[in-house]
Amino acid sequence: MTDPEFDLSEQLPRYRAPAGLGAAILRAAAPPPAPRWWWPAALSAAATAMVMALLWISVLPRVLPADPLQRAIRAIVSEHTRSLIWGQAHPKVIPASLPWLTQETGIGLQRVFVGDSELRFVAGEPIYLEGRRGVAFHYTDPDEHMVSHMVLPAPGLAVPERSRVQIARYRPALSRSDGFAILVWKHGDLASFLVSDMVSEVDLESFKGYFLRVREATEPYIE
Amino acid sequence: MAETDFERQTLEHLDALFNLAVYLTRNPSQAQDLVQETYLRAFRFAHRFEPGTNLRAWLFQILRNTFFTFYRLREREPALAEDGVPDWDTPVFHAAPEETGASMEAHTDLERALSRLPPELRMVLLLAEVEGMSLEEVARVMECPVGTVKSRIFRGKERLRELLKDYRQ
Repeated sequence: MTDPEFDLSEQLPRYRAPAGLGAAILRAAAPPPAPRWWWPAALSAAATAMVMALLWISVLPRVLPADPLQRAIRAIVSEHTRSLIWGQAHPKVIPASLPWLTQETGIGLQRVFVGDSELRFVAGEPIYLEGRRGVAFHYTDPDEHMVSHMVLPAPGLAVPERSRVQIARYRPALSRSDGFAILVWKHGDLASFLVSDMVSEVDLESFKGYFLRVREATEPYIE
Repeated sequence: MAETDFERQTLEHLDALFNLAVYLTRNPSQAQDLVQETYLRAFRFAHRFEPGTNLRAWLFQILRNTFFTFYRLREREPALAEDGVPDWDTPVFHAAPEETGASMEAHTDLERALSRLPPELRMVLLLAEVEGMSLEEVARVMECPVGTVKSRIFRGKERLRELLKDYRQ
């Protein structure tokens, strides 16, 4: 059948299969390994263990600071963060809302800072922190910093001397926690906390000015 | 991975299948895929092979069917090589046996001309001329009458002659 003009078997190069192709074919043709009988049981046990661990973690006691002030500060910062995130849940106009707040919290307010040209009042609301009912007032400044003033009954709480800072004639304690600055002072058995994210040196000076406004204009008492 | 007798016997034809696959696909990588798929099908349907009949023809038949099932669609979309020339117009084969001068040039022209043939003509020529199969064996692989094989061989050579004349002008 070979045509002398077209002896393709002579004129065409022959290509050999690459080394390893045969082995690759045999590998591809090999049946997959049989699933091990204990895998489903092991997987189920692992999933159960993971669920148990997650449940156990949720009931483990939290590591809380021993210092009552630090515990209170942590709760105050959490509450302030919640207000930042969720916005002002109960905007009320002071002083119309004062009787309601007093009724809700047991904390009376002879006077309260209602804001000014620099610190705008946003909301007042009852809070429940560390097992105590309290009251919170939220303000914003021209730079959109949120400043919260929270008052809680805290008869045994001592304001540490070493943390105190002089602001005009007052000497509140200054603390920092998680990127927030907190000023703490007391009115008898009530503790006041002013909290904001103003932690830079410049912001801190403004924050002290806000403290002065709030401190001079607010007089809480336990009813 | 114990190699069965059947697997060993089929793998003796690996080079022949790969050679045909390269000429059909004009792409070494696709040729490997085609050959692998051919073998996997052969192993899967080993029970359909009648011992004592032509194993090589049976394997070529599977390769042909696999090629026309999975690879022929690509023929309709000629890919461009890196230089922008359609793949079907360039000798893209890999690792050709070492040659020099005029013989290599002649091979290149022949390969190029062969690659321009429709796959049915190309395959018949390769089986009959390169693999040395009888007309009956080619007819079995191509699943057509012997007369059709003869006419395809004739037409294939005519087309090759015309193409080579063009290349050599």
